Amino acid sequence: MLNLTDEQLLAQALSGDEEAFTVLYRRRQGAIFRFALHMSGSSQVAEEVTQDVFVFLLQRGRDFDPNRGALGAYLFGVARNYVRRALERSYSEALLNSPADEEEESLVTEDDPADTIAQRQTSTALWKAVLSLPEHYREAVVLCDLQELSYAAAAEALGCAIGTIRSRLHRAHDMLGKKLKHSAAAPGHVSRVTARFAS
Amino acid sequence: MTCREFKHAAASLSLWELVRSDNQPMFDHAVECAGCAVWLDERQMLAAGMQALRAHTAGRQASPHVEQALLRRFRQQTFEAGKPVAKHRSAPIAFRLSRFFEVGAYAAAAAAIVVGLFVGVRLLERHSATGAAQSQPVPAATEPVQQVQTAVSASRQEGDARPEVSVKREAAVHSVSRNVRNGYSSAATPTADDPDYVALMFCDPLICSSDAQVVRMELPVAGGSDRDAQTQVADVVVGDDGLVRAMRIVN
Repeated sequence: MLNLTDEQLLAQALSGDEEAFTVLYRRRQGAIFRFALHMSGSSQVAEEVTQDVFVFLLQRGRDFDPNRGALGAYLFGVARNYVRRALERSYSEALLNSPADEEEESLVTEDDPADTIAQRQTSTALWKAVLSLPEHYREAVVLCDLQELSYAAAAEALGCAIGTIRSRLHRAHDMLGKKLKHSAAAPGHVSRVTARFAS
Repeated sequence: MTCREFKHAAASLSLWELVRSDNQPMFDHAVECAGCAVWLDERQMLAAGMQALRAHTAGRQASPHVEQALLRRFRQQTFEAGKPVAKHRSAPIAFRLSRFFEVGAYAAAAAAIVVGLFVGVRLLERHSATGAAQSQPVPAATEPVQQVQTAVSASRQEGDARPEVSVKREAAVHSVSRNVRNGYSSAATPTADDPDYVALMFCDPLICSSDAQVVRMELPVAGGSDRDAQTQVADVVVGDDGLVRAMRIVN
């Protein structure tokens, strides 16, 4: 079962094979969850989106056409739509709760050595910068830079041309560079993580 | 390598490819050019940050509750269906509504055509009736025209030496001038404002911008021997060029 491709697993799952569905879910849920997490900054939204994506796959999985692209890209495309809906629904709440702050705690683990404080600080600042990007730039950054999808796969997931992905990434990297410079230059910029470790 | 070539080469690479790239000419250029070196540094820092963020979130995944909920859903789904999972509604409500509105649109178009035809026929009838009225001869106009022209020319020749011809100027009557503008047609279709005015033949019609004046005159009747005894009062419409355009016999 583990050797089967995504498409074969989907076909078996849609014919009622629970094990095939479980294998497919376990193979793909991590990437979908992380995509939603990086896009929204909230693990709650990410879980909700992951569940919605696989429910959608159960209900409309027969609409998937393997000739038009890989199942992975298809799932990212579905997840993107659910993330959008979730963000529209809870946009104001998400802004008020500052999702990156909420998830910042999760970046700290007990076994982290002290010399990675700066690295975590950079990660937090970068995540906040990514979350502040306009949505179509954020999608490109999350898919290509954080999920390490190829340009072609990202273009398939987002339903646009490869050149569009390339230009969005180029622009997004410029914006991220400026945001990081700005946040680093801010006089009172002390990360909560840094403050915690300093105390 | 120029800065432009450097940017072009760098733009074709992803962030990871840029960091791992062994494009020596590109790095050589960065050593020589301070601006491109800063740009490359920024990209490398960004790549390092991305790598760190990715490493920190690499282990994150959905909780087991999600899997359990999905499996419950899966069992319900297969139990309920026992057939292809994807269900398509046969005819969504929007589609059924669109059929209803389609019929309505056809009915509205047909009604519009019928109304258009009716209005067109009525307009044609009115137009033909007006044309027939215009084409009728104006026998009463011919004689007074000659009389007025004769009288006006006579009064011009005699000047003020003829006290019996009293000329009384009245204020311009716009309704008259408006109706006289079209020459013969206005005479043929007298209105309630000036039922007795007769447009003179072979004269220019009054134009919108021209001023017309109505002049009350005592006109000698042509052919009479005793002028004082045979005069007739008439209202004469005089254009701004001094020519008479229409007239009305008062008594």
